[in-house]
Amino acid sequence: MAADTGGDFPTIIGPDANFKGELRFEKAVKHLGRFEGTIESKGRLLVAEGASLSGDVKAETIDVQGEVKGNLHATGKVCLTSTAKLEGDLHTARLEVNEGAVFVGRCVVGANGARPTQESKPAAETKPAVDTRPQADQGRDRAAVGGKR
Amino acid sequence: MLKRQASTSDGGRTVHCTHCGRAQEVARRAMSVFCVHCTQRLIIEDYTITSYHATRMFATCGDIVVEKSGFVSAPIRVRQLTVRGRVQGNVEARGCVRIDRTGQFRGDIVAPRLVVADGAQLNGYLRIAPSSAGDRMEERAP
Ligand SMILES: [Zn+2]
Repeated sequence: MAADTGGDFPTIIGPDANFKGELRFEKAVKHLGRFEGTIESKGRLLVAEGASLSGDVKAETIDVQGEVKGNLHATGKVCLTSTAKLEGDLHTARLEVNEGAVFVGRCVVGANGARPTQESKPAAETKPAVDTRPQADQGRDRAAVGGKR
Repeated sequence: MLKRQASTSDGGRTVHCTHCGRAQEVARRAMSVFCVHCTQRLIIEDYTITSYHATRMFATCGDIVVEKSGFVSAPIRVRQLTVRGRVQGNVEARGCVRIDRTGQFRGDIVAPRLVVADGAQLNGYLRIAPSSAGDRMEERAP
C-alpha cells in the first residue's frame, strides 16, 4: 500500500488547521485538517483519514484516506484506501482502490488519464464511456493509447 | 467460449433478482429459476469467460470472472465481477467489482464495493457506495 503515514512529509497541515486558498509545493504534503481551494504540485499529497479537502488537485501522487470533493489529476498514481470518500472526477495514469472506498465520479485511468489535455475537453463530460462508433474508429483510439503521449 | 459452472458457494441460496432486485430462496442445485416477484427468468450460475463474448445483456445472480484471455462486450448485471481481461459495457453489481492489474474496463460501474489493482485500465463513470446497485435495481420493480 502506497499510503504509508511515515515521516517523509516536509509539510504537514495539522488537524486543527482550516485552510482556504491556493497551495503549491514541490515535494510532499500531509493534510490532516480542512482545505478549500486548489492544490498544484509535482510531488505527493496525502489526505489523511479524518481530513477533508474541497477543490481541485493536480499532483504526481495523490493518496486519499479522508474526504475529497473535487477533481483529482495525477501524472503518477492515485490511491484510495478503504476509508476514502471521493466525489469528483479522477484522471490518473495508475489507480489503486481498496475495498470500502466510496467514489462517485468520472474515472479515466491509464495512459489517457495522465494526459493534461483530457481535462479541458468539455465533450468528455457528456460522452458515454462505452464507445458505439464503428470498430475501425475504435481501433484508431486504441492505437493512440499505445503511443508515447 | 465460456465455461458455465454451478454455484458452489455455501450460503448463496438466497438470490436477488437481476430484474427487480428482490430476494428469493432457490434450490441448492438450481441453475435458473423464475422470479417469484416479477416472473422473469433468472440465471443463477457463475461464469468464467475465457474468450470473446458479446450479448445484448449479460445478467446472472451469480458471479462472473473475465479471465486474461476473455473479452466481454455487454451490459452486465451480476453479484460479483472480477476482470482480468477486457470488459466493455455498463456494470451493475450487488457485491464487489474487482479489476486486476491486467484488467481493462470501459463503461460505467454501479456497485457497493470496488477494488482496483495497480496497473488496471479504467474509463467510465463510477458510483461506488454501500447499497448502490441494490437500490437502483429495486427502483425498476413494477
Ligand atoms: Zn424479479
